[in-house]
Amino acid sequence: MNAIEVRNLRRVFRATIGTIRRRTKEVIAVDDISFDIRDGELFGLLGPNGAGKTTTVKMLTTLLIPTHGTATILGHDVVHGASAIRPLIGFIFGGERGLYWRLSANDNLRYFADLYHVDPDVAKQRISELLELVGLAGREDEKVEGYSRGMRQRLHIARCLLHDPQVLFLDEPTMGLDPVGARQLRQVIRNLVAQEKTVLLTTHYMFEADALCERVAVINHGKIVALDTPEGLKRHAEDLHIVEVEVFGIGHETVDQLRQMPEVDTVSVENRDQKQALLIHSRIGSAIVPQIMQSLDGNGIRLGKVTVREPTLEDAYVRLVGGEA
Amino acid sequence: MIANLRVVRTAFVLDIKQQAVDLFMIFGVVIQPLLIATMAIYMLKGQDISRGIYVVVGSGMTGLWTSLLFRGTFGINAERFMGTLEGIVASPTSLGTVVIGKTLASVSVSLLSMLCSYAVAALVFRLPLTIAQPVPFFASLVITMLAFISFGLLISPLMAVNLSLTGWVNALEYPMYILGGFLFPILLLPGWTNPVSYLLAPYWAARALHLTSSGVATVPDVLLCWAMMLLLGGAYIAISYRLFTVVLRRARVDATLSLM
Repeated sequence: MNAIEVRNLRRVFRATIGTIRRRTKEVIAVDDISFDIRDGELFGLLGPNGAGKTTTVKMLTTLLIPTHGTATILGHDVVHGASAIRPLIGFIFGGERGLYWRLSANDNLRYFADLYHVDPDVAKQRISELLELVGLAGREDEKVEGYSRGMRQRLHIARCLLHDPQVLFLDEPTMGLDPVGARQLRQVIRNLVAQEKTVLLTTHYMFEADALCERVAVINHGKIVALDTPEGLKRHAEDLHIVEVEVFGIGHETVDQLRQMPEVDTVSVENRDQKQALLIHSRIGSAIVPQIMQSLDGNGIRLGKVTVREPTLEDAYVRLVGGEA
Repeated sequence: MIANLRVVRTAFVLDIKQQAVDLFMIFGVVIQPLLIATMAIYMLKGQDISRGIYVVVGSGMTGLWTSLLFRGTFGINAERFMGTLEGIVASPTSLGTVVIGKTLASVSVSLLSMLCSYAVAALVFRLPLTIAQPVPFFASLVITMLAFISFGLLISPLMAVNLSLTGWVNALEYPMYILGGFLFPILLLPGWTNPVSYLLAPYWAARALHLTSSGVATVPDVLLCWAMMLLLGGAYIAISYRLFTVVLRRARVDATLSLM
């Protein structure tokens, strides 16, 4: 049985531009997407910033009304059955907002437990368990404004689990967490799936999607460009080899020049402290390295380490979204 | 029902906690009414000193209104800025239930305005302050709180729909001081403004409190004020119930529940 069914979902935002002569501009945030998530499945939604992930999650959590299409959560329509859906779902949106900073963690959790009509005795027990689970036990009486970003994120997790929801929407839940905190949170997510919760997870971290998700939809410019298991998605890039070159101070012109090469599939640049990593996808593997060196030398770019490796899920993703990651 | 009452209680307690550390509310509830009271007392110098209680009640009402207006309306925007508005709207509890708790907190805290004005007039200016008809006065105060809560319910949903409406809220503060007859009788205003006052529960609240504190109230006068407060309060609640439904749907269409 499907916990979530999405059919031809579309969301258009209208923005006004101009001061005197005001015009309305339409932005398509989500463009005709369809997918199903099985009961108890951990489903990933991957995409670059502005791809439509959060808008999709907001429509599914009844906070936005779709412009077109339908979506159901546990059989209830997100527009007409919003009040039936709300007690059954929990959600967190990435970032630190969504909590009362001038109140303690305990106050925040008690308030949200009341909003979800959790019996006070059950709430007391659950708050104590959840504080333990997210590593905030002993700090619950401190004001949230004194918490670190990671602590706030963990408090969000506790908040969204208060009413023991059947379906969870986790929008970049590990954003801002340190590696240890992120690992603990991933374990929490695994435990939730073990308890047969349905989870829709959006993330920027490919290894996270790879490690956690049974299936992943890649979304770009509001459209789903691929939907498969992580292994299936990797096959999108199996004909490629990845050349990774450390460079110092590369400009747009040089990157564009590399993109023009016939053997190059995609080029992306990652900033790493003082240097940058140039990731070049090519079908001809190490044979393309001399051409790349020649081009970079010609543009006076200082080079570091050069490696050629097999594609990962991240490489498949970069290929699918056209090097925008 | 019990679950909703629990939400009202928790929203009330947490809002009081937040207001206690909100400097703007301390200004609106304590300092501004004290300034207004001091100014009014100086204006009354050389006149009938029995009017001191009128000043105390009137300046207290200004604090009540300011607190309700800013807390009730900016409160929704504050939730939007904190990102908690979505959390409330996506919960099984109606936003109106939360607003009742928060408005009750604002109204309760703003009673401090009256106490502070009373203390200044009695201790600093040594005015004889006697509430002439204490039982009807305190009964009027309780009905006033209910009327103000219902008025808060009427204005707060408008803030859920659009951030830009906040600018208009500022413009509503002083007109209510005048049209509500907080500091002087509305009979001093042009006649055409009086029907507007009659549609405002705060006007009937101010009238009941002034009449009972000054000792000039007759039973029909007080009963009329109470009936009007309850009648208008009921009407505000009925309108706000519909307004919350319409406005929240609009906010879900226009994507104004958060600062996306």
